[in-house]
Amino acid sequence: MANITLEELSFTYPGAAQPTLLPISVEIKDGEAFALLGASGAGKTTLLNLLSGLLVPTTGRILFDGVDVSEQSGSQRNLAQVFQFPVLYESLTVADNLAFPLSARKADNGLSGSDIKARVAKIAGELDIEHLLKRKPKALSLFQKQLVAIGRALVRPDVSVVLLDEPLTAVEPRTKWQLRQSLKRLQQELGVTMIYVTHDQTEALTFADRVGVMADGNILQTASPQEVYEHPAQEFVGFFIGSPGMNFVDITPGAGDNVYSHHGVASTAQRLGFRPEWAKLVKGAVAPELSKVSWSGTVTLNQVLGTQDGQPVGITTVMGDAGELKVRGPITGASGDKVVVVLDRFISFSNEKYMASHYND
Amino acid sequence: MINKPYNNRAWLGVLPVLLIVAFSAVIPLMTVVNYSVQDILDFNSRFYVGLDWYRETLQDPRFIEAFGRQVLFSLSVLAIEIPLGILVARGLPKNGAWTSVLLILLAIPLLIPWNVVGTIWQIYARSDIGLLGVGLNELGLAFNYTSNPTHAWLTLIAMDVWHWTSLVALLAFAGLTSVPPAYYQAAELDGASKWQVFRYVEMPRLGGVLVIAVLLRLMDSFMIYTEPFVLTGGGPGNATTFLSQYLATMAVGQFDLGPAAAFSVIYFLFILLFCWIFYNSVMVEDAEEPEGQRRD
Repeated sequence: MANITLEELSFTYPGAAQPTLLPISVEIKDGEAFALLGASGAGKTTLLNLLSGLLVPTTGRILFDGVDVSEQSGSQRNLAQVFQFPVLYESLTVADNLAFPLSARKADNGLSGSDIKARVAKIAGELDIEHLLKRKPKALSLFQKQLVAIGRALVRPDVSVVLLDEPLTAVEPRTKWQLRQSLKRLQQELGVTMIYVTHDQTEALTFADRVGVMADGNILQTASPQEVYEHPAQEFVGFFIGSPGMNFVDITPGAGDNVYSHHGVASTAQRLGFRPEWAKLVKGAVAPELSKVSWSGTVTLNQVLGTQDGQPVGITTVMGDAGELKVRGPITGASGDKVVVVLDRFISFSNEKYMASHYND
Repeated sequence: MINKPYNNRAWLGVLPVLLIVAFSAVIPLMTVVNYSVQDILDFNSRFYVGLDWYRETLQDPRFIEAFGRQVLFSLSVLAIEIPLGILVARGLPKNGAWTSVLLILLAIPLLIPWNVVGTIWQIYARSDIGLLGVGLNELGLAFNYTSNPTHAWLTLIAMDVWHWTSLVALLAFAGLTSVPPAYYQAAELDGASKWQVFRYVEMPRLGGVLVIAVLLRLMDSFMIYTEPFVLTGGGPGNATTFLSQYLATMAVGQFDLGPAAAFSVIYFLFILLFCWIFYNSVMVEDAEEPEGQRRD
């Protein structure tokens, strides 16, 4: 296990005009579960390839426990990787697959045959795949294969970091949560440093201790899942995380909504952002509580997601003077009804902050 | 169950295929089988001789010698072409501007007519005017494939390797490109040696195409005729007379239709048997897996 430090790490493909990865600095602590979350094209895979030694950084350094590994090959870095689809040695049994990383490095790790057997048995036990050990990959389901691939990544007790490249992509939805749980449990039990790359916010937020949200070759925010959800550092983070994402409303000083003077919004703020569940709907055309920021509008769509205390709850889309807003909570009013959106909480953003180019994709 | 209508006229649909196969394969083969059990003196006098020709052929020392040479030749070229082809395929860049250029260059020997290949090597290896022959003699080696049986063999094998290694290389290359890059990456991170990468990453993916390559080369080399006919004419002496050439002498040269037909049937059965044994041994190896197909 190791501390992973990225120092001003950047990458530009040879001949490319634009860098794929802007200088990034992150520190990932020993034994931490770290997720890199971003849409495709955000630079996740490039960053992963830099970590795994497939690419050499254009500038900056990668440190494993303080040692510069930027120029080292993948095998020298002593890391393991789980890929999007299960990568196994097809001619070897599950047991031999699990033993492979240990026996291939026998000369370095000094493990004996019985040590290797014991370690394989331990990992197989943790993953609950003992009954599969004698089989060949061909006779396994996709889910089982990926379990074995995860096992192979975790089998080396001295591995510095385990990289996971969207490991649940190939697994059917029904078994996804199961695999994610096994992964999380193992990560905690073995105390392995893991870097989990995904475009799926649910995976990232449930798996990781900390999440790095990526867009356009940059890490926009690195924080705990709760922090990135509740206090997105930038608009894109708020927009990208959450389903639906944050609402944003432009505000102009002196335009009548007097949010600046009444609600403590910084004078540089140009937009307010709020989560769909941070607002409530009140029937009628007039704001009931003047102390709160509110906008009036018309219900255009009700998306019922369930019931609570016999009341339908879901997401209501309101079209009004603040544009299209989405509010989560009890369904209030049918399509066409006049409502007021009242904010309990919001975050203000100013224009200097980074905005991803594909903001409205 | 669905009630299927029963209509005998549907059989008519199979008729064209049946006719083509009959005229292209079954009837010629049956003609040969028919010849092989008769002694044919001329168009009007023929006698049924049972399996006499088969017995005679199998006891013919020249047949046995030619068969032995044939087996030796096939095994030699397989032993060189398969590993060499894999080696060449591994040496090719997977993608890039050079890949297609190299692939085309590799394919050139395959596009040359067989008698031309024979002629090229016939001239190339001549010790009086050929580049290779003269070159070897200049180096102090008394190379002469027209008089020395070993030299004739070496020239033949070199020619076949030159002609057909590309085929194995192209097939193996196709197999290698089917290995996803992630497999190499995983093996690298696992600390696999170069040999282990070949053994555990590439070989399992190559298996299928190598079976095809071995089968094709085995059948083709076992039936080789044109190239040795042009290059050595079976000589010196009978040193490079293979089965097909002996058969041609018998059928076309001496017009011994009966024995030649029996020879052909035996020849055909041998090739069939070889391929069958080979194919089955490979498939059995592939299928033997404890609790192989069980799933849960």
